[in-house]
Amino acid sequence: MHVQTISINPVDRLLSKGLQNLWYPVCPSDFVQDKPVSLRRFGYKIALWRDAAGQVHALEDHCPHRGAPLSQGVILGDRLACPYHGVEVRCDGTVTKVPGSPGCKLEGARAALDFHVHEAHGAIFLFNSDTHVDAPPAFRMPEELTSPEYSNFLCYAEWRTDYRYAIDNVMDPMHGTFLHKQSHSMADGDSKATFQVRETDLGFVFEKAGQRGVNFDWTEWGETDMHWMRLEIPYPKTGGPGGNFAIIACVTPISPELCAVFFWRCRRVQGWMRDTWRFLYRNRLEARHWTVLEQDRVMMEQMELDANERENLYQHDIGLVRLRRRLRRLAEEQLEGSGAA
Amino acid sequence: MAVERYLEPHQARQRPATLFEDLLGDAIERAFGEGVQTLPELVAYINRSGPAGENGEAWTEPSFAALMQRLGH
Ligand code: FES
Ligand SMILES: [Fe+2]
Repeated sequence: MHVQTISINPVDRLLSKGLQNLWYPVCPSDFVQDKPVSLRRFGYKIALWRDAAGQVHALEDHCPHRGAPLSQGVILGDRLACPYHGVEVRCDGTVTKVPGSPGCKLEGARAALDFHVHEAHGAIFLFNSDTHVDAPPAFRMPEELTSPEYSNFLCYAEWRTDYRYAIDNVMDPMHGTFLHKQSHSMADGDSKATFQVRETDLGFVFEKAGQRGVNFDWTEWGETDMHWMRLEIPYPKTGGPGGNFAIIACVTPISPELCAVFFWRCRRVQGWMRDTWRFLYRNRLEARHWTVLEQDRVMMEQMELDANERENLYQHDIGLVRLRRRLRRLAEEQLEGSGAA
Repeated sequence: MAVERYLEPHQARQRPATLFEDLLGDAIERAFGEGVQTLPELVAYINRSGPAGENGEAWTEPSFAALMQRLGH
């Protein structure tokens, strides 16, 4: 059984829901089709829907009248009609119609919380803010996703753990040598290593000193108004020409004990090599990657939720120590900015 | 209480693989494992020790590339 400690520290409270003013992927694109859907993400329940042109919109799934779920209502293009008393809310949060009391004060009020939406790389991203944001910061992802020289597949999963365990797991390359010892791609490499941290323009790289391209040897933390991680893992010879594959990872909190993980598996391949890799990925590589990822999931889900309150860290853990400190710093800044600290 | 969650091992393909695709995948992986790097080498290898093309014909570079393009779109 997980034991949930109720934290009253505002930094911990903010971090447990997820930092604000960031883009987060919330689900694969095909989760939102012709009906509204309701998703819990970063402390909110959110209604998402597509208008007739296929554009996705997102509002807090809470009708400004009396809080009924807007996601149970009807799509009217860029508006939703609440199923309870028919109030219509536009995608920018404005109540456009109160059928039961025309002309009342609620009509015309921007009474619902809206989220900016960006659809890319097979996923839907929302900008997390607790107030209306006129224009969100630019959406930027690493070149493995944006450059036509690369090809990618998204793997999406939900893990029953606090999102920070999933992040720590990616910032801990050394687990590859042990947890994934029997895997198709991580059997090689020294099981003892010294790590170092190297600053980058967007964050930092945590890497094994003196080992590259053998195993899961480095991982990068990046901040571009979105938090992402990047790493590379070599393919065995059977993976064919095209070299390592890269993973771009994002983790989005759902609740204190559930998170959404997004792993884009990318490879720099073109022409027949690209198509052959994509064929092999569908035919068999996806299943092998899944087996490895399941080892991570099972391990994460077996960690007690307060396991990270009693640790004895050593040199291999400086990457995640560094990251935890960074996230706390960002949370403190966010609280100071909102005047709540 | 168990939390319902999305865990779907197959997200990239719309249908299960066919036997033909499995045999072709086996042959491609064997070829790569033996050091094949180029398209002509790969096509020659599959003609030697892989399944015949979809209508029983021998593979050519264009026919192999076209099938990969369709299956790997
Ligand atoms: S609660 Fe939505 S219209 Fe009344
Ligand atoms: Fe792992």
